Amino acid sequence: MADKKKVLVIGGGFSGLTAAVETAEAGSEVVLVEKTGFLGGRVAQLNKYFPKLCPPNCGLEINYKRIKNNADITFYTLAEVESISGQEGNFNVTVKLNPRFVNDKCTGCNACNEACPVEMPNEFNYGLDKTKAAHIIHNQAFPFKYVIDGKHCKGTSCAKCVEACKYDAIHLDMKPETITLNVASVVLASGWEPYDITKLDNLGGGNIKNVITNMQMERLASPNGPTSGKILRPSDGKEPKNIAFVQCAGSRDENHLPYCSYICCMASLKQATYLREQYPDSTVRIFYIDIRTPGRYEQFYWKVKDDPGVTLTKGKVARLTEAAGGDVELVVEDVLAGNKITEKYDMVVLAAGMVPSTKAAKIPGEISYTHEGFVVPAFLKKGMFAVGSLKSPVDVAKSVQDATGVAIKTIQSARR
Amino acid sequence: MADATVVKPDLDFVKGVIASGGDSLKKCYQCATCTVVCNVTPDKNPFPRKEMLWAQWGLKEKFQGNPDVWLCHQCNDCSAYCPRGAKPGEVLGAIRKQTIKQYSAPGALVDIVNKKALMPLIFIIPAVLLAVLLSAAGTFKIHDGDVIFSKFASTHFLQFVFTPALLFGVAVGVMGMRKFWADMKQTNKVYSGDLNASVMATLKDIVGHKKFKQCDVSSDRFVSHFLVFYGFVAAAIATAIGVLYIDILGMESPFSLGYGTPVKIFGNIGAIGIIVGIILMMSNRFKNAEKLGEGSYFDWLLLSIIAIVGISGFLAQLLRVAGVAPIAYPVYFIHLVFVFSLFIYLPFSKLAHMFYRGAAICFNKYSGREAQTQ
Repeated sequence: MADKKKVLVIGGGFSGLTAAVETAEAGSEVVLVEKTGFLGGRVAQLNKYFPKLCPPNCGLEINYKRIKNNADITFYTLAEVESISGQEGNFNVTVKLNPRFVNDKCTGCNACNEACPVEMPNEFNYGLDKTKAAHIIHNQAFPFKYVIDGKHCKGTSCAKCVEACKYDAIHLDMKPETITLNVASVVLASGWEPYDITKLDNLGGGNIKNVITNMQMERLASPNGPTSGKILRPSDGKEPKNIAFVQCAGSRDENHLPYCSYICCMASLKQATYLREQYPDSTVRIFYIDIRTPGRYEQFYWKVKDDPGVTLTKGKVARLTEAAGGDVELVVEDVLAGNKITEKYDMVVLAAGMVPSTKAAKIPGEISYTHEGFVVPAFLKKGMFAVGSLKSPVDVAKSVQDATGVAIKTIQSARR
Repeated sequence: MADATVVKPDLDFVKGVIASGGDSLKKCYQCATCTVVCNVTPDKNPFPRKEMLWAQWGLKEKFQGNPDVWLCHQCNDCSAYCPRGAKPGEVLGAIRKQTIKQYSAPGALVDIVNKKALMPLIFIIPAVLLAVLLSAAGTFKIHDGDVIFSKFASTHFLQFVFTPALLFGVAVGVMGMRKFWADMKQTNKVYSGDLNASVMATLKDIVGHKKFKQCDVSSDRFVSHFLVFYGFVAAAIATAIGVLYIDILGMESPFSLGYGTPVKIFGNIGAIGIIVGIILMMSNRFKNAEKLGEGSYFDWLLLSIIAIVGISGFLAQLLRVAGVAPIAYPVYFIHLVFVFSLFIYLPFSKLAHMFYRGAAICFNKYSGREAQTQ
């Protein structure tokens, strides 16, 4: 191929990774840009995939390896697309590369982290613990390079990390750079955000310590999470033995997200297995409007339902308050029994919905969005494609299938 | 399957609810957010979720003797949090209207109040009736000299016409309430209880507006209802004092006792309470109307009648004092017409809530169900 035309993939989560490696392995040159400092996106934060309950590294590591072994993929982390212009075959894209303050000489020795005096909330763990301004995002991060958080770092006036680094890997004077790319086609893969639970005022509005989100639950259960995989409630580190799940925390609600987030029922059923496995004497109660386990996922629902420690109750939880001793008081109507019940739980998990990242952060360029922030593929410009949760709430397996399918469209576009 | 239940939907009932302000009914998907955020429902068989389902399915008989639609004070906490915009508050209001239709006889008057197309009759019938009677008495004209309303409609005329109107309204309402009470007992299989204590406790609730205080999103409704309610109480006291002066002390109207007398004090406090309260009620209806609903024809009709009664009464007084006879007498006539409407349509308009809601609150105490409320 004499004139390999480039393909740009925006977003390095599972959808973007898949689109990038599938496209590159078919012989197109790919540039992958990712806003955070690591690849893998939300999947990297999971403890296990449903329904097979295997750890996410299964899929992620293979993709990292495929990237490493493929000279046709260039990727940038801490990179933000600033503008997209032109048309299919000739898109001009400017990308801002934010400084990592750490270069390729980093060996991951952790000396900078030990020296760093600045603590900051650990975003990767959804604020469940703290990290330092000089940190590795997580212990399986790819690329395995430390990063210095520009917002929290005190800069050259401190520079304790620079002194601590034996490899001359830290340069606090790094500046943002802007690069220009010319690409034939663009794949939008900027993924999703969990719904902001501070908007759910009747569910505590994010102010009740032992009311956590489903993604926080993934971090609590994850071996590289804040509690090394032991599920402990945030307020006092107590082992939660009596846990409620609140389905549709924001989803299927015109006041919040007027759509079903698709994954939350399966996610809660899956998380019930985490709890039941760690604490065989625990009880889990899942409150739902409807349990939605589409297609063959129904079998997973049966499996969890058969566990005598798990109860499923029809009724939307519409009130949560903090009770004495850190417990959470929950009010719901048990619809099938016709009673309004008030119960106390050690911990409550909100099955928070999925919001397309483009709800808050629009991708520059002529892209139209639904009022929920989703991208409608039919309205995209020729040569532009969208994958995964940017189009509709979707699980990992379907994201991968979708991204693989889009790869062929991208290749066709790049060769027109 | 020996006890198979055959559902007999009454489509006309469903259409009736939809037509009278419950058009969002079918949006409900039974999540039960409403029952949880409702502060006035009992915990056992709570409302309004079950009512939403019954109404969707046209299970009219479920509403026979159902106190719950009347325990609802339309705080609208349910509608504010409803994830589907099904507006349970408005739907229950529409169902209540169906109950009034069911219990308040005769049907023709219910239709006049409830059909928008027949709205003019509400005013024309009393207007014609009063005009004919006043003409017969020979006083239906603009009188010369100082404005003295007793020249236009003598106090004896007022007593002979308005007392029967009010008695008719109350009698029909009480009859409907008795039927409703009997149905509630039968439906809920409650055959005994402490009626006196329940009535006293209900009166205490009403006097203190206890239920309104439990509302969250429309806590301001406490103020507006309180003002209108006590406005009417004050007006009634003023009327009673008037009756005392005329019938017992043998005084003649106008009393010429100045503004410091109990009649004037109660009358004016009442008028101001009614006017301010009703304006608050009306403006509250527009707050977040998209989410909560802006009220049905049925609601607005009562609000309008009360507003006109209050404003025309107060205005008539101002015009009398100012001595503007050509306007004062017509305004006073309008006032009389609307007061008459209010009385005779008492059991057929939304005002009938005083009978049915009162009975439902009382029944909830009588049956011991209220004790189960949080």
